[in-house]
Amino acid sequence: MIEPAALKLKLKEQIIQYLNLKDLKPEDIKDDDLLFGGDLELDSIDSLEIVVLLEREYGLKINNANEGRKILIDVNRMAEYIIANKTDL
Amino acid sequence: MPRAIVTGMGVVSALGRDCRENLESLQNGESGIRKPLFLQSRFSSTHLFGEVKTSDAEFKERLGLSSDIGFSRTDLMALHAFEEAVTQAGLSQADLSSPDTAFISASTVGGMCLTDQLYADSNLLGEGSSFVKAYSFGAHTLSIALLKNIKGYSTTINTACSSSANSIMLGARLIKAGKIKRAIVGGTDALAKFTINGFNSLQILSADSCKPFDEFRTGLSLGEAAAYLVLESDACCRGKKGLAEVLGYGNANDAHHPSALSDEAVGVVAAISGALHTSGVLPEQISYINAHGTATPNNDITELKGIQKSLGFIPPYSSTKSYTGHTLGAAGSLEAVFSIFSLLQNEIYPNLNCETPMKAFSERPERKLRRDIPIRFVLSNSFGFAGNCTSLILGKAS
Amino acid sequence: MYIKDLSCISPQQTYSQAFLQGRIEHFKTNHYLAAEPSYEELIPSSKLRRMGKVMRMGIGTGLPLLNKYPETKGIILATSEGGVEDSMNFLNQVVKYQEGALTPTNFVQSTPNAIAGLLALMTKNTGYNVTHVNKGLAFESALTDASLFLEEEPGARLLLGGLDQFSVYNYNIELLAGAYKKHFVDSSQLLGSGSPGTVCGEGSAMFIVDSQKKGALAQIKGVGQGSGLSLAELMERLRALLTSSNLVPEDIDAVVLGYNGDSETDTWYDKVRQELFPHQAVYSFKNLVGEYSTVSAFALWFATQLLSGFMPPKEAVLKASGEKPKRILIYNHHRAVQHGYMLLTV
Repeated sequence: MIEPAALKLKLKEQIIQYLNLKDLKPEDIKDDDLLFGGDLELDSIDSLEIVVLLEREYGLKINNANEGRKILIDVNRMAEYIIANKTDL
Repeated sequence: MPRAIVTGMGVVSALGRDCRENLESLQNGESGIRKPLFLQSRFSSTHLFGEVKTSDAEFKERLGLSSDIGFSRTDLMALHAFEEAVTQAGLSQADLSSPDTAFISASTVGGMCLTDQLYADSNLLGEGSSFVKAYSFGAHTLSIALLKNIKGYSTTINTACSSSANSIMLGARLIKAGKIKRAIVGGTDALAKFTINGFNSLQILSADSCKPFDEFRTGLSLGEAAAYLVLESDACCRGKKGLAEVLGYGNANDAHHPSALSDEAVGVVAAISGALHTSGVLPEQISYINAHGTATPNNDITELKGIQKSLGFIPPYSSTKSYTGHTLGAAGSLEAVFSIFSLLQNEIYPNLNCETPMKAFSERPERKLRRDIPIRFVLSNSFGFAGNCTSLILGKAS
Repeated sequence: MYIKDLSCISPQQTYSQAFLQGRIEHFKTNHYLAAEPSYEELIPSSKLRRMGKVMRMGIGTGLPLLNKYPETKGIILATSEGGVEDSMNFLNQVVKYQEGALTPTNFVQSTPNAIAGLLALMTKNTGYNVTHVNKGLAFESALTDASLFLEEEPGARLLLGGLDQFSVYNYNIELLAGAYKKHFVDSSQLLGSGSPGTVCGEGSAMFIVDSQKKGALAQIKGVGQGSGLSLAELMERLRALLTSSNLVPEDIDAVVLGYNGDSETDTWYDKVRQELFPHQAVYSFKNLVGEYSTVSAFALWFATQLLSGFMPPKEAVLKASGEKPKRILIYNHHRAVQHGYMLLTV
């Protein structure tokens, strides 16, 4: 079982890598920073990139936009979703 | 000012290998979207496609090409449709080779339909396939120009899904400005793992037949096609049977998002307004709209908003993508040919698969074959990635 | 059609004044890579993070021009391959993940009109927006489109450009097709190297064009193109281009020719010189920037600088002239199959 704090750090690193956010370091993203509609300036294509991140890195499939909207809110919510749905962390 | 008259058309799509077969399928309301026969993809077993029911080998045989020629499916379909168009227009070899003849094509896939060969060649995994000159977007244009001895202006346009509408626009502009006497205009795109996976990654690829203008539409069905029109200046095609006239055109950029249209439909409104302006046709004179109608959530609602804004009302409309799938770089010219069928036959071909019409608009797409109204002017819309919006207005040849 | 302003990123220091002031980059391999500027002040990092090289070069050259001329009515670009890196990255994903979960950014960026589209988006330019991709004639095709547009709308101003990037994938494909030399040649030895094939370059050249003479850097008097021409047909076309401006070959002061060191096809340039322009000054440019499909956009940038009094480096002078040229003919071919030509005057 991975610690939530460690998972969140890893998630931030992966978000930076997948979205090519070269200027950012993990510590620049707070756990409750809004991914969309906040200072990160992410858009709908980024949300699809994060969906691929979840599938490739955690084997979790998000099948529709409504489901995605409830999960891809901030790092906190993403980590909760991963912990709740993934068994072999 | 010279006028741009359509004197020939050639088409190959999921509905058939020539104009007659395509027209019959439209009249019979028969969709060409089904389980693919030739497509090599993981999606072949899970998704339906508007695949052309002719193998590459059969195309080569029909075209009299050697079986080992390095032509992609994009090239083969283009050449096939090109032949029908120039034959119907009665163009001679001298016409084709004249500096006054332009060839303006379009493709968004080019030779990328050869996914596996391209992967091997671009990563130097072998000695090189026979297709090394067939991958670029413009490869089919050059191959046809060399094969047919076309020596005048030739170009390939790639503005994503509006590409071949822009080919028609450019050909008509060159003729109307008196720069050339005739132009063969259109586009071609084969089904490709590249585009299938691309639209799937954007979550806008439908597994079932696409449902344009349905409240519960699930995205686009991909198809493949090639379609060409011969446009001739009215002064040099006297005595020929004119099929239609390209009256107006407008191209604009939505300037909003890389892969979606703005809520305000800025680009759509500007494109339609441009077509009205250049044609002099009034909004109330538009008899029918062959809509872009891709069946993505974003396109269909934005397109209707744009039509409402620019015309002030929504005329009868349908999306023939419910028959052919979205044929990308060929869609603009394919749908121009279908629009000309509407003008010639005074028919509106019904929009298939629209079971629950969209709530936002009371105007519904035509869902039955209509033969009760004269079709005088048709508006054909084509919108693409990176905000590219093009509208054409076609009329009867007088 | 008049050139009002221009911008260029190339393997030479053309984005700054350094190249015009005499600084020359030399290349020891067959890849002439662009000297890219820092884009940080021009492009927000939220946009820069998604851009492949061709997109960066396109925004880097086009955006400052559009900012300077906000009333520009449309954007007409030429690129043979567009976002080829994105295309190939996406293709590699298709193969690697066996058509599984793929990231869409590469796909969206791969369409060649993404460059003209992003320029439109960043400047809220909703006008005419078309991208020509016809291999070695894409730029000439775009130029004709622009010239037609300015005849239709005489008061309009356009952004016109040609750009392509080096990518290892495309290099490999063209290598298999026999386009490049099998051994590395120093750029100083490229012309006259006596072996088949050439070297690969990249770059972006953009122009603000309109129909008003006032303040113009140069006038484009004519442009033409043809595929599969014979030598005789080419000569006839070049004469016709001059005739259409009431000129004869003797009226031309200088020719800018697409010599690229390919022993099999440079003969076309030799013939044009011998038959039509035996006494004129001759300049080359591909030993500075390499060969690519839209390199004639660089040739137009280079020729415009010559008309403005730029003293070309010795590397580009095949035959010198003491005087500043007033009328220049540019002729370039792609693999001796696609031929393009432009006539430029002060």
